[in-house]
Amino acid sequence: MMSMTFLLTSCWSKKELTDLAIVAAMGVDKTKDGRYHLTLQIINPGNVAGGMVGGGGTQSPPVTIYSASGDNLVEASRRASGRISRRLYYAHTNLVVVGEKMAREEGLNTLIDAFDRDPEFRNTSTLVIANHSTAADLVKTLTPVDKIPANKVLKTLEFTERKWGENVKTSLQEVMKSLESPGRGTVVSGFRLVGNPQQAQKLDNLQESEPEATLRASGIAVLKQGKLVDWLYGKPARGTVWILDKIQGTDINIDWEGRKEVIAYQTVRQKTSVSAQVKNGKPHISVHTRVEGDISEMEVPVDITNPKVITKIEQSVRKEIKKELRKAIERAQKNKTDILGFGEVVHRTRPNQFKKLKTEWNDVYFPKLDVDITVEAYVRRAGLRNKSFLSGVKENQK
Amino acid sequence: MVKVIKTERRVLKFMPSFFKDRKPKKKPQMDDENQSTDYPIELIQVSLSDNLNIIKQKTGNSSDVVIREIKMGINFDIKAAIVYVEGIVDNQAIQEFLLQSIMKDDHKEVINPHNALELLSEDMMTIGNISSITNFGDMFASLMAGDTLILVDGVNRALSASTKGGEKRSIVESTTQMVVRGPKGAFTESLGTNTAMVRRIIKTPDLWRESLKVGRVTKTDVTFMYIHGIANDKVVKEIRQRLQRIDIDSILESGYIEQLIEDQTFTPFPTMYNTERPDVVAGNLLEGRIAIFVDGTPFVLIAPAVFMQFFQSAEDYYARFDIATSIRLLRILMFMISLIAPATYVAVTTFHQEMVPTTLIVAIAAQRESVPFPAFVEALLMELTFEILREAGIRLPKAIGSAVSIVGALVIGQAAVQASIVSPAMVIIVSITAIASFATPSFDMAISARLIRFLFMIGAATFGFYGIILCLLMMVVHLCGLRSFGIPYMAPFAPFIPVNNGDTIVRLPWWTLRQRPRLITANTVREGTNQYPHPPASRGMVNRDLEEGDNNEA
Repeated sequence: MMSMTFLLTSCWSKKELTDLAIVAAMGVDKTKDGRYHLTLQIINPGNVAGGMVGGGGTQSPPVTIYSASGDNLVEASRRASGRISRRLYYAHTNLVVVGEKMAREEGLNTLIDAFDRDPEFRNTSTLVIANHSTAADLVKTLTPVDKIPANKVLKTLEFTERKWGENVKTSLQEVMKSLESPGRGTVVSGFRLVGNPQQAQKLDNLQESEPEATLRASGIAVLKQGKLVDWLYGKPARGTVWILDKIQGTDINIDWEGRKEVIAYQTVRQKTSVSAQVKNGKPHISVHTRVEGDISEMEVPVDITNPKVITKIEQSVRKEIKKELRKAIERAQKNKTDILGFGEVVHRTRPNQFKKLKTEWNDVYFPKLDVDITVEAYVRRAGLRNKSFLSGVKENQK
Repeated sequence: MVKVIKTERRVLKFMPSFFKDRKPKKKPQMDDENQSTDYPIELIQVSLSDNLNIIKQKTGNSSDVVIREIKMGINFDIKAAIVYVEGIVDNQAIQEFLLQSIMKDDHKEVINPHNALELLSEDMMTIGNISSITNFGDMFASLMAGDTLILVDGVNRALSASTKGGEKRSIVESTTQMVVRGPKGAFTESLGTNTAMVRRIIKTPDLWRESLKVGRVTKTDVTFMYIHGIANDKVVKEIRQRLQRIDIDSILESGYIEQLIEDQTFTPFPTMYNTERPDVVAGNLLEGRIAIFVDGTPFVLIAPAVFMQFFQSAEDYYARFDIATSIRLLRILMFMISLIAPATYVAVTTFHQEMVPTTLIVAIAAQRESVPFPAFVEALLMELTFEILREAGIRLPKAIGSAVSIVGALVIGQAAVQASIVSPAMVIIVSITAIASFATPSFDMAISARLIRFLFMIGAATFGFYGIILCLLMMVVHLCGLRSFGIPYMAPFAPFIPVNNGDTIVRLPWWTLRQRPRLITANTVREGTNQYPHPPASRGMVNRDLEEGDNNEA
């Protein structure tokens, strides 16, 4: 009898692989009547994994898009089952895209609960805000090289963060944490569809060596109380990432003897620390960053065998970085959004005093904050050459 | 099954009186059924012809029983007979040491029927082992064991000369337990050769040997060996008792003995080790174990056995410790693979799709797309196919065997995948499992893993990883409950004996293994202290050479 009970349990949580619709990415938009519009990017396994099973079945796209609307996310997801022959499986959803309109008008706060509550859904999935488009258009786009568009988005973010530093990869968990943290603004990675959205969905798009419509990492979304307030591009974006201590490697150009941006300095490692002091009830922040790197290109004849020249280059790099960080801080202060986490640093060093500042931190104290920036920059290597190629050319011409 | 047996036992307990009444009646009946294997305790007659008639009648005039009648004495008036069974005796010995010495003897003058046997045994027969027999029971036993009988007319005794011999397989290389380094010779079917091979390795008078005959009809020689002072006396006594208790018509292989004396029948795990390598037997004897030799098989039983023993190969002790240790770790890993690899695949693809990286799950899903069966059925199908192929491959003659393997490779590998009956991933899993199960050194353990694997697969198909863990727990609990001749099967893990852990899943250098397994042996000291090898000279730079070099230069 006892052993019979074991057999009677059957396989209640069993789900065969062939009955699953693996959702790779999910887009959330707001319809005109205020309902949620869910766009699901579902993997067609046979078309993704090549090999002999598919038998060259490249005629159909690697992903299929289904969409549904509902008053909340769960309703929309359940409603979508009427269109899909399989059970929706969210455990492999690594990308959540939120439309710009939705992020601006309603914010992310209302969405988070559904994602966090569902046991299947991963908190580590990446959150992206569609830059100048709806989430649906972004999710629908087919991409070359990485057949699953969700993967393309994730990998692009990961590598551009590491190599260029104007973008960040933000997971759902990180966004949740910074949304909850008092007096803190939130940064979310932005992604953009370049080209015609109609063309982007077509398989023809992939037949070209230079697809007309592509996806591109673009900007950092600044969120204040969950709502999108600003996009950061270029130098302020990189400065922001820098202060957040997320720069792994980037390239900094400096001027030399009147010529603009002729020496490229490649960072190898950097460490940024933010510390806070409170004087007379007024908070004071100092940012210290130490960066080491290589000289990777010189378009002017410079003799770097001379240590004094190296020192000069280092000083220019310092100035350049300092300028960038300053820009980022000024932009954040203009937005009245503490995306740099200064509030948290004050909270850590002076918890009692921060309690008073907390409520008005973003609007009153943060914009007027005094920030000291100190930069240490070092040139460690100069690649395989010493003198610039140009200096050799110049000498021979004499 | 188990329940049925339990209830039977209970019935026996509740009605002892009923069975007690019947028991004595039953016993003689059973003996009657047993044909004429029990010889009447009849004494040897005085008349030679009577004796010979009895022999002929008893052996049914078998053509291989040779009765050679001879005459001795000065007047050739003393009738005698030599009786032996052709084929199991050493013909040359009979020729040279019996017939020649009897027929060309120099005692013709003094011999008479009264002193004939004494003279024969003391003076005439130049053969090693001679005994005197008075009854037919002993006589037939020694005759059938290959001894030669000498009967003399007018004497109610017989002489039995040990002339065991006949065709024997020579010592060849081990076929079931091969090593790269180590002694090559394996046991043969002859018990005498086998025990001699062990004696040749362990040259101590403390290597004791006890023999008995088991099997009412076959009268098989069973011998057990142990080293007095190292083996535990209690275990020796227990083995002796269990062997003596055996009452069966035949012992054809040591497997019979194993199944009749093992501690627990209802377990997939072997509780006695078997080997055909003399060095393995010697090593185990030196750890305090007892070896049971059975005539007619090269496989020697070793008891008590512990779980870890089945993952150790003789070579582990010959190779250096770092290599031996890593190979042992590999074996444990392989055992786990052969146990749970298909179960894990089933669990992952039907319950825990979130645990695999996205790209991999997409790849597996793509393969499974065209497969009509659930993952469990697919796994079961492939495992069964493999088991069938393996079984077919073992039994077949070599010439056909290769054909089977070709068909098998095609069926399992290529065609099944192309026909969309199984997925390529499943083929990989099954192949890895198969290879892993072949890599377990002990065949007994490998085959039990193969059996339990199906249980794990069922567990995985019903409960996922939870089921696998459940099965693993059950297995571990069961293993901890097992005993082999009173020794816990999981020793030295459960009970945990730190000193003995140096020779389990790892094999520490020999100089650290100072103690023999504590639960098994009666004397734990294996080696002296300070066995760490010390190089004689310091390894610093030797200055003298440099100076010499300078001199030469000058």
